[in-house]
Amino acid sequence: MNTLEQTSKIPLLEVRDLSLSFHQQEQVAVDHVSLNITQGSTLGLVGASGAGKSSIARAILQLVKPDSGEILFKGEEIHRMNPKELKTCRQRIQLVFQDPSASLSPRRTVEQTLLEPLQHFAIGDTSFQHEKALHILDTVGLDQGALRRYPHQFSSGQQQRIAIARALITDPELLIADEAVSSLDVSIQAQILQLIQMLQKDFGITFLFISHDLAVIRQIADDVAVMYQGQLLEQSSADRFFSEPAHPYSKTLLSFAQGKSPTHRPDDKRYLERSRRKAGDSSACLFAGFCPDKMPVCERVEPPMHDIQHKNQDGLESHCVKCHLYNEVNANDFRE
Amino acid sequence: MTSPALNVKNLTVRIDTEGKRLTLVDNISFSINAGNATGLVGESGCGKTMTAMAILGLLPASGVSVRSDGIEVNGKDISRLNAAQRRSVLGRDIAMIFQQPATALDPVFTIGQQIAGVVRRHVGGSKQHIRKTMLAALDSVGFSQTEDIAAAYPHQLSGGMRQLAMIAMATVCKPAVIIADEPTTALDSSTRTLILQQLKHLQTLQQTAMLFISHDLNVVRQICSDVMVMYCGRLVESTDCQSLFSHARHPYSAGLLSCIPQISTTRPTPVRSIPGQVPTATELTSGCHFSPRCSRSEAQCRVSVPQLDDEDGRGAACFNPL
Repeated sequence: MNTLEQTSKIPLLEVRDLSLSFHQQEQVAVDHVSLNITQGSTLGLVGASGAGKSSIARAILQLVKPDSGEILFKGEEIHRMNPKELKTCRQRIQLVFQDPSASLSPRRTVEQTLLEPLQHFAIGDTSFQHEKALHILDTVGLDQGALRRYPHQFSSGQQQRIAIARALITDPELLIADEAVSSLDVSIQAQILQLIQMLQKDFGITFLFISHDLAVIRQIADDVAVMYQGQLLEQSSADRFFSEPAHPYSKTLLSFAQGKSPTHRPDDKRYLERSRRKAGDSSACLFAGFCPDKMPVCERVEPPMHDIQHKNQDGLESHCVKCHLYNEVNANDFRE
Repeated sequence: MTSPALNVKNLTVRIDTEGKRLTLVDNISFSINAGNATGLVGESGCGKTMTAMAILGLLPASGVSVRSDGIEVNGKDISRLNAAQRRSVLGRDIAMIFQQPATALDPVFTIGQQIAGVVRRHVGGSKQHIRKTMLAALDSVGFSQTEDIAAAYPHQLSGGMRQLAMIAMATVCKPAVIIADEPTTALDSSTRTLILQQLKHLQTLQQTAMLFISHDLNVVRQICSDVMVMYCGRLVESTDCQSLFSHARHPYSAGLLSCIPQISTTRPTPVRSIPGQVPTATELTSGCHFSPRCSRSEAQCRVSVPQLDDEDGRGAACFNPL
């Protein structure tokens, strides 16, 4: 994916230096995060609960107002749009939530649920809308008998298909899936993952896929971005991330996901304690307290974002990591 | 041979609903020895939690019928106790760790008060002794600031910490048997790994027999030595973990295994799913309940019910196993 050719392309979605805080800027949710998602690719956004993953999704859709930073969708500045422009834009960016039983209205039939976005955006006439609803149901693997039924008459897997159908019906270019398979049983999860893989392959839909489950991310992501307490610590291709993660936190996450405890663990319990960052907390590396590779500088200076590029068959592949360990790696110093 | 810490014989749970009698747990038998952990896996609605509730006697008396030839904890039958006798057994001989600590813990009492309550009920002793036991339990699950945790209300703790407090409460009287019902499902993977390690450590230390209920085979593999696969209220395979992961014999077990996404350095092959969906209790047919979704089903599968095929009551319940 991330070849030179593609980095020269305009990304479908570009997040530049985004910051977001809550409670009169007391609590930092997102801290100067920059992300790119190339057209047709899937970015897996990972991190523990409370890392700021969902806040980024909400900021992209302008459901919350970021403190600073820019959000560009196909080069257009979402954060500067007026309500009318924003409405048009949201037609092209849709969201799928974690829990379908909560995100589908219990009082609406599937037909009403599916037609609502089309009516809201005034897409086509009634017969077109009806055709579209039937078509989209078929795409997500439900038959047309579903139209007259209510959400509670479906299993959780079918409900998530309906939620995905509702998101797809406006023909979005970007689908944000926020823990869309996390609450499902493994067998249902497998079905929804297959559906997402089909949407990637056959429809070329771009995904921002948020999950704390690295095994799920491995299945469907082309690129991976790792968040920790509001900061982006690493971003690279999925192949690179899963074979050679660069940031000590990423390594920790991977070993946890594989059911192993990391070899070096200074204080496991502190992982469990809910940490919310307050504004004006120390300027050190946020992970320094748990880091097996901590150096004196880590407690004093916030590490910069390094791009430790890799050569691959198509040229150069970018691999960003926010860690002092890579201070000496020059941007021109290509690693094999 | 030692007698098992938990021995469940021919447990059946039926409910009456809308004039129909539905079988939710269908004649299952198993035993767990002291110090062993056995996983009970299956999809939502297959009867895992029903099994746990029936063992503990927590199902309502009206509308539900629980039948068994005995549920023994250390040789003592707990299936025919009255309410007062049951209260003295629950928490002392057999304890439960629930899926949602946020709802299982009482919001108006501190963690310390709730754990001390269990000690006072089953062990008794002076106030100081009870407090010491309570703090020791919090220490045993890995809390360093035990006094602070004891003074905290459940809402002041994170999800992971609440689950640890729950584990402390379940293990404070060192019960012979622990039933853990999806204890880590709601947690993210780093917290999950830490809590599983803590639970495993305590279970090994106290030589507890543990029934570990989960839909996640990866988690079961991490902490259980044996595993039972449940489908529509029946055990379809019962074996040791290693055999299941290297050679699952029941087609449903094999299907479940192929659904699990794996972390690999190269891009993995896409997960496969099991065609069709789990029938509800009203839709069950005769014969093997999995046969409508099974690629290996034969005429016999739709007529008679296969039994677990090993002599010791384990193996695969399939006429045409893999």
